[in-house]
Amino acid sequence: MDASRPRVPGELVFALAMLVFGLTALWQAWRISGLSSWSAPGVMPMVAAAVMSASALVFLRNTLRSPKPEIPAGSSLARQFAHQVLPLPIVMFTALIVVYMLALEPLGFIISSFAFLAASMFTLGSRRIVFTLVISALSLAAIYLVFQTAFSVVLPEGVLRGVLR
Amino acid sequence: MSEALSYFFMSWTDPYLLFLTAAGTFAGIYIGAIPGLSVTMAVSILISFTFKWHVNEALALIAGIYLGGVYGGSRSAILLNIPGAPAAIATALDGYPLAQRGEAGVAIGLTTVVSVLGGFIGIIALAVAAPQLSKLSLLFAPRDYLLLAIWGILLVGSLSGESMAKGVFAGAVGVLLGMVGLDPLTAEGRFTFGSIQLTGGIPYVAAMIGFFGVAEVLVQLHHLGVTPVKQNVSKILPSWALMRKYLPLGLRCSSIGVVIGALPGAGGDIAALMAYDHAKRTTRNPSRPFGEGAYEGLVAPESANNAAVGGAYIPMLTLGIPGDAVTAVIIGALYIHGLKPGPMMLIETPHLFWFCVGNLTLANIFLLPMGLSGIRIFAKIVETPKPILLPLILVLSAVGTYAIQNNPVDIYWMLGFGVFGYFLKMYGFQVGPVILGIILGPLMDVSYRRAMISTGDDPLAFLGEFFTAPISAVLVVALAVTILSQTSLWRALTGRGGGAKAPAI
Repeated sequence: MDASRPRVPGELVFALAMLVFGLTALWQAWRISGLSSWSAPGVMPMVAAAVMSASALVFLRNTLRSPKPEIPAGSSLARQFAHQVLPLPIVMFTALIVVYMLALEPLGFIISSFAFLAASMFTLGSRRIVFTLVISALSLAAIYLVFQTAFSVVLPEGVLRGVLR
Repeated sequence: MSEALSYFFMSWTDPYLLFLTAAGTFAGIYIGAIPGLSVTMAVSILISFTFKWHVNEALALIAGIYLGGVYGGSRSAILLNIPGAPAAIATALDGYPLAQRGEAGVAIGLTTVVSVLGGFIGIIALAVAAPQLSKLSLLFAPRDYLLLAIWGILLVGSLSGESMAKGVFAGAVGVLLGMVGLDPLTAEGRFTFGSIQLTGGIPYVAAMIGFFGVAEVLVQLHHLGVTPVKQNVSKILPSWALMRKYLPLGLRCSSIGVVIGALPGAGGDIAALMAYDHAKRTTRNPSRPFGEGAYEGLVAPESANNAAVGGAYIPMLTLGIPGDAVTAVIIGALYIHGLKPGPMMLIETPHLFWFCVGNLTLANIFLLPMGLSGIRIFAKIVETPKPILLPLILVLSAVGTYAIQNNPVDIYWMLGFGVFGYFLKMYGFQVGPVILGIILGPLMDVSYRRAMISTGDDPLAFLGEFFTAPISAVLVVALAVTILSQTSLWRALTGRGGGAKAPAI
């Protein structure tokens, strides 16, 4: 199956990165206790890292053997990577998640989640503005009530500290 | 015995537990049915919300969701040709053609009945086999746990991904992640890079939600434009004649489901594919050719995947080894509740076992009326557009991760694992083995070292015991068979038509 499927753009780089990951882990595992004894703390990490490196090598070999990615005329590998692996919605959505995470504590759960829900629904193509805002608000209210009451989860209050409850 | 009975009926008589089980089953059906929401995802997010609850309440909710979710995937498979859950991939092959013929109602009805049948077979197997296996498990030496853990990771790694190398890689990454932190035997730091935070290990709930929630959401962003087709459903209850006719096949496939489910690592999705294959090979005169709407093609996978639920509980409750990805997450939940899944659990906390059995039975009973009703409303909910659904899943994931220890850093971990999981999925890896590795890694490490220390650090004596001790020898053979048969099994699993992709766990 591996051999017949053309490479996904970036697969070769990913395979190399995983091999480096495995070898770095192996080196770090060696530094735990070396081979001081057969039952030392570092033995199982070394085994796991060695298995990782070996299977990453097999993955790399299979990737090298498989046909190159299909690149239509006028496109480049980088463009195909952006198109197939990291299209714009995914990059933007991930960026929104990062902003959401950073805003969660200072702004509090309610404001940051509402902003995130509305912004990401628009980004992903929900075009009805009022509908999106209402859905965001309603679902957020449901999440908030369920988790505050049924699950007694303490959510960050942020700037709304003291306003609620 | 009377004590066992009272624990068995605990969730039946306590109104709150009864409500939680019903709510869980109901929610599970919809979670399983909505493409993009998986049972594993839901259970991992829920764990962090329920950790302040009593363990019974958490287990009641999770059992309902698990059983309902495995069944629920079949609905969208039949109505929309989109398997709502990996375990329903085989169901879509014959279910959707049935819907196209206007027989969606009968298909859903038959599916519900055989799912409940499979569920009961699985639970009976659990009730009968687990106490026996538990007695046997006391004879298991540390090296046997090592073998079982390796076997589990290999099974899920080899059966569910693009290639064995990728499965093994994902498993090894998990094992490595599982060993970050203080060594349980010597309290030496491993892979901590001088960070105090890391001495506590990787926050594994954040890892679970990242790999199963965030990574899946990111992958789903590729399919934003897919709009589901609307369906009409009328007659739902299948006739007695139809049910009687498929009872033998249902029973056979249920036993396949139990066995596959009980194997460490392999769960409902693999069981369903195996059962579908079994039905295809053994049925002489299917109601219609397979792939064009054969009832057999519905009965086989749907009885098997629900039977696998009871099966997967067997190694979890007796050995502390997960039967599939969901039970791996449940084991995480048990740890959070201060329980130690393993051979002593049935002896120290027998009530927990009977509670689980009774609870699963109850959830399975709820499945019948809930499965046969509400299909019209259901069709609406499943059509929730992805631009609305995916951001909501992400907020739930973030809240779930945060709730576990009120630490915003965990959310960064979640996103990090989510992005890593996304790339793994894009390049044909599965994330199921990573989670099994995280759960099983510490067990492997401790088991290996106990076994090695018990032979006085003599590697030859250590290796020798694998062949001289009877239990170990059996496990070594099982392990060898798994590796050797992998290529032909693989062909058998992927050789089926319909362009079904490898199941994602």
